[in-house]
Amino acid sequence: MNERNDVTAGDAFSEKAKAVFDESVNNLDGETRSRLNRGRHAALAEIDKKRSAWIQWAPAGGVAAAALLAVVLWTGNPAVDELASPAMAADIEILLTEDSLEMLEDLEFYSWIELSDATDETMEPANNVG
Amino acid sequence: MNAGVATFAVSCNGEDRTGVSTLQSEAKLNRFFAEVEKRALRIAEINIRDRDEALDLVQDAMIRLARNYAGRPDKEWAPLFYRILQNRIRDWQRRQVVRNRVMVWFGKGNEDNDYDPVAAAPDPAGRSPDEVLQTHEAMQSLETAISGLPRRQREAFMLRTFEGLDVAGTATAMGCSQGSVKTHYSRAVHSLRETLGEHWQ
Repeated sequence: MNERNDVTAGDAFSEKAKAVFDESVNNLDGETRSRLNRGRHAALAEIDKKRSAWIQWAPAGGVAAAALLAVVLWTGNPAVDELASPAMAADIEILLTEDSLEMLEDLEFYSWIELSDATDETMEPANNVG
Repeated sequence: MNAGVATFAVSCNGEDRTGVSTLQSEAKLNRFFAEVEKRALRIAEINIRDRDEALDLVQDAMIRLARNYAGRPDKEWAPLFYRILQNRIRDWQRRQVVRNRVMVWFGKGNEDNDYDPVAAAPDPAGRSPDEVLQTHEAMQSLETAISGLPRRQREAFMLRTFEGLDVAGTATAMGCSQGSVKTHYSRAVHSLRETLGEHWQ
């Protein structure tokens, strides 16, 4: 406002224009003032409407926020990322397959089978001789 | 917590802060409207020359400010309010141009829009008839001269002189630079002085 006062200080024309304008503002009739008053209250009622809408939607917003937070936390968990890797998936598959568990239990037996096969292959040429 | 959660939290806090400040600013907003509404009405009325329409535009501007900007700092309200009002005035004038064009095309004139300054004159309030007449005539001359200004000069002059906005506030209300405001205002004053000079010196 100071800048405005600097600009218009001593400016008789602007001062007179302002005075004449203010006079016309002060002489507004009662009906016009009443309509302005009603318009102002209608405008302020918009704030109440907005507040009511906020209160009305707050519970739904809270539920949505909680759901969003859960999704974000789930997708952002490093353990979940590791589970999603191929190696981890293979480990899980092994753990969940009954046959594989049996194989692990009889690991010595399968080692013996493998060793026997290798021995047979080395002996075979000798057996064919003759 | 990753970036998504952080963004969400900031968003929630922002909504909450806006809600709280809206509650706190309602009384202030009421005082602001009571302070500016009559001047705003006269400014709108000078622009569009129709009091009923001007009342509608001022009310609409108040509603839009309350709905969208009540949570803003109160020192920003005046420039925002007048920016909304100026936009509404501009929209109204554009519609009038189209409406008049259509009416002319259908062979109907614009008899209803003739502005009657006597009919629109404010009620006198305890002053001598001479004083009333002088002020009324001075305002009518000023309104006529202002109506002859280019739109931007008219806006700058009324916002600076009538509403008392500073250069920065006027620039915000008009959506232009402060340099443009100074230029428009200076040219407006120069033009009005030339038009009204003899009556106003």
